Amino acid sequence: MSRGARGRMTLTAIGDAIALGGAIDEAAGLAELPGRAREGRLVLDLAAVTFINSLGVRDWIRMLRAAERAGIAVELRRVAEPIVQQLNMIVATRGAAVVASCYAPYACEACGHEESCLIDLAAHLPALQRGAPPALPCPACGAAMAFHDFAERYFAFLSV
Amino acid sequence: MTIVLVHSDRRTCRALQRLLGAAGHRVEVTAGADGALELLEALGPALLVVDGGVGRSALLAVHAAARARGAEVCVMLLGPAGAADAPAIVSLGAVTSLLAQPLPALAESLAIGARKLARGDLFGAEKYLLWGTELCALELARSRDRGARVDELADRLRGRGQSARTASMAMLIADELLSNAIYNAPVDARGAPLRRAQPRDRDFPLDGRQRVRLRWGCDARYLAIEVTDWFGSLERDAIPPALARRDVRETGGGAGMGLGLAYRACDHLVFNLAPGARTEVIALLDVRAGVAPATAAPTYPAAASYSVFVQRAAPAVASPAAP
Repeated sequence: MSRGARGRMTLTAIGDAIALGGAIDEAAGLAELPGRAREGRLVLDLAAVTFINSLGVRDWIRMLRAAERAGIAVELRRVAEPIVQQLNMIVATRGAAVVASCYAPYACEACGHEESCLIDLAAHLPALQRGAPPALPCPACGAAMAFHDFAERYFAFLSV
Repeated sequence: MTIVLVHSDRRTCRALQRLLGAAGHRVEVTAGADGALELLEALGPALLVVDGGVGRSALLAVHAAARARGAEVCVMLLGPAGAADAPAIVSLGAVTSLLAQPLPALAESLAIGARKLARGDLFGAEKYLLWGTELCALELARSRDRGARVDELADRLRGRGQSARTASMAMLIADELLSNAIYNAPVDARGAPLRRAQPRDRDFPLDGRQRVRLRWGCDARYLAIEVTDWFGSLERDAIPPALARRDVRETGGGAGMGLGLAYRACDHLVFNLAPGARTEVIALLDVRAGVAPATAAPTYPAAASYSVFVQRAAPAVASPAAP
């Protein structure tokens, strides 16, 4: 199968986390991840994931269930937008994992700049559950950027 | 074409009656399921449009009676509270058309569907796009082309300034619909699946009937992604349960979630079925919601619509295998 812009999935160790990048699809092979847990903890950095399809979701759910059976706590960091969308569409995609932070679409109403911004979920959880994402400074002009999607839809996974 | 409208709110009825009437349809109105059954008997309408708020048992009774008489049923959900009922309606597994849209978008979708039924002309994403919208068409000659075609679609959407969300959802929809067309659609003469159990990373040629077509276009309201196979093996009654699935299948070559994910990723999923000849699935994504500054989209963010149309007469379809 062609590997175009989405790229083959990659695994890279970054500090205490394993960073996944590229596409999580039929070629991904996530089964080895629970074996890379440290002291009962598996931290996955998902910032560079570009795509996940239904076969990738199946592999992902199998991996989460295997980790849960092994008593491994899974933490998801810097979750990219395609994964957030899956968390909202299929509940089992989150499973027992803790989502520490995620990217979210923002737009500046002053200059029109659009950016995927990182949100610390623990710091903003009550507001996010009320459907009120934080305003963030625009890196282009310094004005306030606003969340640029439907908050109730994008952060629905926090209410499950 | 005669349409029976079942809704208890008189203002809604009047608005839809006027809008659909202006399109040349005869629209008769009733407030509940009993009246719907009477009008079904008396008028023999081609289409019943039923408020999703009539209740589960009434909805199923009207649906069954209409199907027995050869009439199509479309359930409509108006207002945010109504749209919130969409998952419950989908989970009934029996409703073959659901429109969760505010007016006037709802009336536009109904008018398109009614016109398709009245003319017996079901196929083509053009029917959902403004006049003159050009569709890009790509044919897949090998199974491995799927990834490249999906990437190409996403790149071209980004190149046209579409949002990251639109490009991401388009990738997911195209990948899942193409995967279904390549692996689930092919059947032998007895209807037995040919490729359903095959691993999705194997490469093989897509010859003759197994060729798959991807078309897409955008009219500044909707991005339409259309995928066609030439087997026509997708059955009408299999669609609602597939849309309602909320978990992956553990066995088999596919995860069993393709249609469900495509449905959740778009605003309106349309199935045009010519049994034994052709299946066309069209996903519509409302691109107006992704424009800064934030604007209210004419769709409900937490509910998507779907419509199933079945070719009644023997279709004169020119498949790639036909001379």
